[in-house]
Amino acid sequence: MARVGVFVCFCGANIADFVDVPTVVEEAKKIREVKFAIDYKYMCSDPGQQMIRDAIVQHRLTSIVVAACSPRMHEKTFRKALSDAGMNPYLLEVANIREHSSWVHQKDKKAATDKAGDLVRMAVAKSIANEQLHEISVPVTKRALVIGGGIAGIQAALDIADARIPVTLVERSPSIGGRMAQLDETFPTLDCSQCILTPKMVDVASHPYIELIPYSEVIELDGFVGNYKAKIRKKASYVNFKSCTGCGACWQKCPVKVPNEYNMGIDKRKAIYTPFPQAVPNKPVIDAEHCTYLLKGKCGICAKVCEKGSIDYTMQDEIIEREIGAVVVATGYGMWDAKPYEEYGVGRYKDIINSLEFERMVSSNGPTGGVPMRPSDGKIPKTVVFIKCVGSRDKAKGIEFCSKICCMYTAKHAILLHHKVHDSRAYIFYMDIRAAGKGYEEFVNRAQVETGAVYLRGRVSKIYQKGDKLMVRGEDAQIGQEVEVEADLVVLATAVIPDKGNPALARLLGISYDKYGYLSEAHPKLRPVETAKAGIFLAGCTQAPKDIPETVAQASACAAKVCGLFAGDTMKKDPMVSTVSREFCSGCQNCVKVCPYQAIVTEDIPLGHGSKEMRTVAKINEGVCQGCGSCVAICRSMAINLAGFTDPQIINEIVAI
Amino acid sequence: MKKVTYFPGCSAHGTSEEFDQTVKMVMKTLDVEMEEIPDWNCCGATSAHTMNESLAYALPLRNLVLAEKLSNDTMTIPCASCYQRLKVTKVHMDENPELAKKINTAVVGEGEYQGKVAVKSMLQYCYEDVGLEAIKAKVTNPISGMKLACYYGCLLTRPKAITQFDSPEYPMSMDNIIEALGAKATPFDFKTECCGASFSISDTEVVLQLSGKILEMAKESGAHGIVVACPLCQSNLDMRQPDIEKKFKVKYDLPVFYLTQLMALAFGFPKEKMMFAKHIVPVDGALAHIGEVIEEPKKPAKAKKAVQAESEVE
Repeated sequence: MARVGVFVCFCGANIADFVDVPTVVEEAKKIREVKFAIDYKYMCSDPGQQMIRDAIVQHRLTSIVVAACSPRMHEKTFRKALSDAGMNPYLLEVANIREHSSWVHQKDKKAATDKAGDLVRMAVAKSIANEQLHEISVPVTKRALVIGGGIAGIQAALDIADARIPVTLVERSPSIGGRMAQLDETFPTLDCSQCILTPKMVDVASHPYIELIPYSEVIELDGFVGNYKAKIRKKASYVNFKSCTGCGACWQKCPVKVPNEYNMGIDKRKAIYTPFPQAVPNKPVIDAEHCTYLLKGKCGICAKVCEKGSIDYTMQDEIIEREIGAVVVATGYGMWDAKPYEEYGVGRYKDIINSLEFERMVSSNGPTGGVPMRPSDGKIPKTVVFIKCVGSRDKAKGIEFCSKICCMYTAKHAILLHHKVHDSRAYIFYMDIRAAGKGYEEFVNRAQVETGAVYLRGRVSKIYQKGDKLMVRGEDAQIGQEVEVEADLVVLATAVIPDKGNPALARLLGISYDKYGYLSEAHPKLRPVETAKAGIFLAGCTQAPKDIPETVAQASACAAKVCGLFAGDTMKKDPMVSTVSREFCSGCQNCVKVCPYQAIVTEDIPLGHGSKEMRTVAKINEGVCQGCGSCVAICRSMAINLAGFTDPQIINEIVAI
Repeated sequence: MKKVTYFPGCSAHGTSEEFDQTVKMVMKTLDVEMEEIPDWNCCGATSAHTMNESLAYALPLRNLVLAEKLSNDTMTIPCASCYQRLKVTKVHMDENPELAKKINTAVVGEGEYQGKVAVKSMLQYCYEDVGLEAIKAKVTNPISGMKLACYYGCLLTRPKAITQFDSPEYPMSMDNIIEALGAKATPFDFKTECCGASFSISDTEVVLQLSGKILEMAKESGAHGIVVACPLCQSNLDMRQPDIEKKFKVKYDLPVFYLTQLMALAFGFPKEKMMFAKHIVPVDGALAHIGEVIEEPKKPAKAKKAVQAESEVE
């Protein structure tokens, strides 16, 4: 015979103002199995928990119902109270009479009280069928995979490795460094981006706990948290990194010229190249799409000039497999293509560039030696118009969100322009100046005061050419007039968009992404680093636009999460997972299709005892299962059972009302 | 032989008679038979839609209903304003059949509106239904040597959600037709800027400013003349040109052609039939360029790139 204890919480006034708590207690007492019922002002407080612990012992209770707030708030608290009293924690049921009753029925106390009573009756009925459950232990492979070698991936890898946990860092391009390696100086302190980044890049390469696999991509991820298996395709570099000294003879002699990605296509690189002088690893690769020898079998100059004989045209892509326990995704961002802004003449005028192109021009290691130049004629621009929010905050043509970093880097660009071309002037068209951050507002003020940058609040409606000038026509909303600026160069702060490969990568990893292609965090406020899939974490702009300090903070947060996950030899996991009764399973595999976590596979078992004929049944990996119950609902044979939500439990609940 | 329903609009019978006449000549050459809507009425532009929404829908709706009584699936309209009113009405009525029914029974009373006739501007019809190849095939007297700035105005391609035709900011359909006739379309940034429209009458100063800017940019593009497909554009740019020249003390001398006038010329119709006498700015100077060879500008010497410039980098 079940002996249920019911504990009804006032939650201060939150519940008691709209639900008559003593009535709920009296109603509970009428249930045959309820041997003890009581109310208290704050059940989650220490005295409240003590009441539960005492009652369990005194009244020899077999299950507990707490009628209080959402189980998301305090289920863990009350489960712990049960354990402390020597009771299996999963014999607890929470009746949510706050979010589900008092908060939503504030105008009708009687109805709210009745509903609270019903919720308690259901919980009591369910708890009677509760079974003792035990946490699941899952073994952990203590190696992390970091995807993307920009500042986010670098920081995450270093922090994890510093905790003496091995890291495999996979980078798509020939060198790590990412977008930050393309930047000149960084806001709000104007310290040189390269100078603060390259030491970290070198640390990555030399760290005993980091395995750097450049020029490669993750192509497969199987398994579950703590026990993933990753397949990595290492693209053929056609250069033997072991013997190559990085002397540079090959790329000096290579006759093929290709637009240079590192310099945003402003100048050319060779078909055999290192992306930039500070590259890590500092070894060249051959770009197979452009190399004459690989395409047509002619040329071979790089092989001739290489003293070490490091060039190997026969090299093939290589598949590397690694067992890992956690993944940090840090694939970074790209720039939105401003083509839809036809009124700006994007694509028709050479002297309209985007901010990253401008960044390369003012970079001292950039294609123009650190001095901005007009792409059309190479002249040094004196009047530069910066237009913010091109594509951002623009539902009609671009993207709804704010790209967050443009206000700050445009202020920086105004300052850099002034530093490089003293007699120049920057005009900045803006919607709002969003300078929330430490030292940010001061930095924007600096741009305005020190460099005399003219901030014009308003949108640009048209850009047209007049002679060799670009006429930028816009609104100055603060004086309510149309203004026209005769510009030498126009720089568009185009929207920050996620990497194009994100949707494919998300599918490969089994995580979700939003309509823009940003990877989705598990909770926008309280779990901003985790994904919905256990053991996969997000760092940097792959999740949303953010600046360097925020990216680094998130990357370190990822590292903390990974270290936490790897703290023990095994991981504990809630036992609310599904199991298949093989004898009932018809092998239809509908559950395999509906499982959002890819936790269900199939296995072949003998048709009958000792039989040689086989039949297929579903098999659930309890390490991956998150207990969502989709498989239970779809199963026609009622062969799947979700612990904590079994058929008898649910039926009891329904019968109770 | 194609057949198409024709809605001339009021200006075709008055100020833009030369548009109407040349449209008819051109369509005949292109093997398109035009069937004018019997008893058509005013489209309502531009007064109705600024004053009364129902009236703004009712006037074009009657024309749409009448057009459905003919057997053609497409209607073409030379005037950009008429086109805009009829197309807006069609799109909104198609989206909201209830409203169409209400307005139809209350005001129009010519039968039920079914939304089965496509509404296209003359430009769109030539470009989409006739096609560049068919136009090219009929060219007997190419107008090569002429450099022309194509001016679309505000209504032919905008708003995009309504017109569903060409780019709203930098359209190219008319440019392509002009080039099919042998002329050269100049790169013209002001092709969709506002000419001032009907302010021509109520506040002429506005038109002098706006149309003045368009003429200035057309001249700058190197054009001998401007091509339009809208009676109001034509009248503002042509009729107001002397005033503009006087006001800003400049000389543009840019004749403003209807697209169909140039098509008819290229199709071999004699110049006398184009009613050029109705133009304010004489066209002869521009037409004299026909037959000239346009020298392609030499490619500019390779822009100096990536020069390790006399930089002030610290």
